Amino acid sequence: MTTQNLALFKAIGAKMDFLTQRQRVVAQNVSNADTPNYRPQDIKDVDFSKVLKKIDKSSNGIQQVSMASTNALHMPAPGDVNIDDPRKQKQTYEVAPEGNAVVIEEQLIKAGRTVMDYNLMTNLYQKNTGLIRTALGRAQ
Amino acid sequence: MSSPIFDAMAISASGMQTQGTRLRVISENIANAGTTGDTPGADPYQRQTISFKNELDRELGIRKVKVDSIDVDGKSDFQLRYEPDHPAADETGYVKYPNVSTLIEVMDSREAQRSYEANLGMIEQARTMALRTIDILRGA
Repeated sequence: MTTQNLALFKAIGAKMDFLTQRQRVVAQNVSNADTPNYRPQDIKDVDFSKVLKKIDKSSNGIQQVSMASTNALHMPAPGDVNIDDPRKQKQTYEVAPEGNAVVIEEQLIKAGRTVMDYNLMTNLYQKNTGLIRTALGRAQ
Repeated sequence: MSSPIFDAMAISASGMQTQGTRLRVISENIANAGTTGDTPGADPYQRQTISFKNELDRELGIRKVKVDSIDVDGKSDFQLRYEPDHPAADETGYVKYPNVSTLIEVMDSREAQRSYEANLGMIEQARTMALRTIDILRGA
């Protein structure tokens, strides 16, 4: 059994994946802060309690069968963690006369929150490996 | 195959590159703010403008920012100054000076600087995220 099979680690991994994708989208917005007619994008939030519930259920014996995507061109199975979904942001702080709607401050706040969440996730990960280590009798 | 964190860094780097080009165009304008023609009635230096566009980098599958075009600003008029003894003065004694307003150029360079710093901040944050991930390994 590796840590990847534990529900909590799975959820942490999914959240970290989501946060890195979001960081990519925000970086794209910031670099296009002066591109005419550019609308900033954002990634749709994932309901992590739902994801966790789904993972929990499958680990509690009530096995869920879902389709495996073996090819990059496969559509994701419904209910799968599909987070790479950048979409145009509807509401922004303001739109510049040339049609650009990126507000650097807004994007930097997002980036800051993303990094903070990411730190939280890595800390959680480390704490949990520490717990497992303690259970194994090799306390640090 | 690349990680979103490094994609974010590449996107921010492209943003910094375009802002650098923008700064080059601005300094060309400021440096030539007093460049007149050398024959009577000749046109002086014309202000240059730069515009950006959003372009898909097919190799990495990310949308980078690129310089769209560097054009000559033909919309604003030349400044006329009465200097009858100037070699470029026309028969009425007026010399055409470039359509460069130093104030506008300085404001533009401030904006370029701000965007550059924002991109730099995004790289810094992506770096923090990557380092935190490596820290997981260190803690284990």
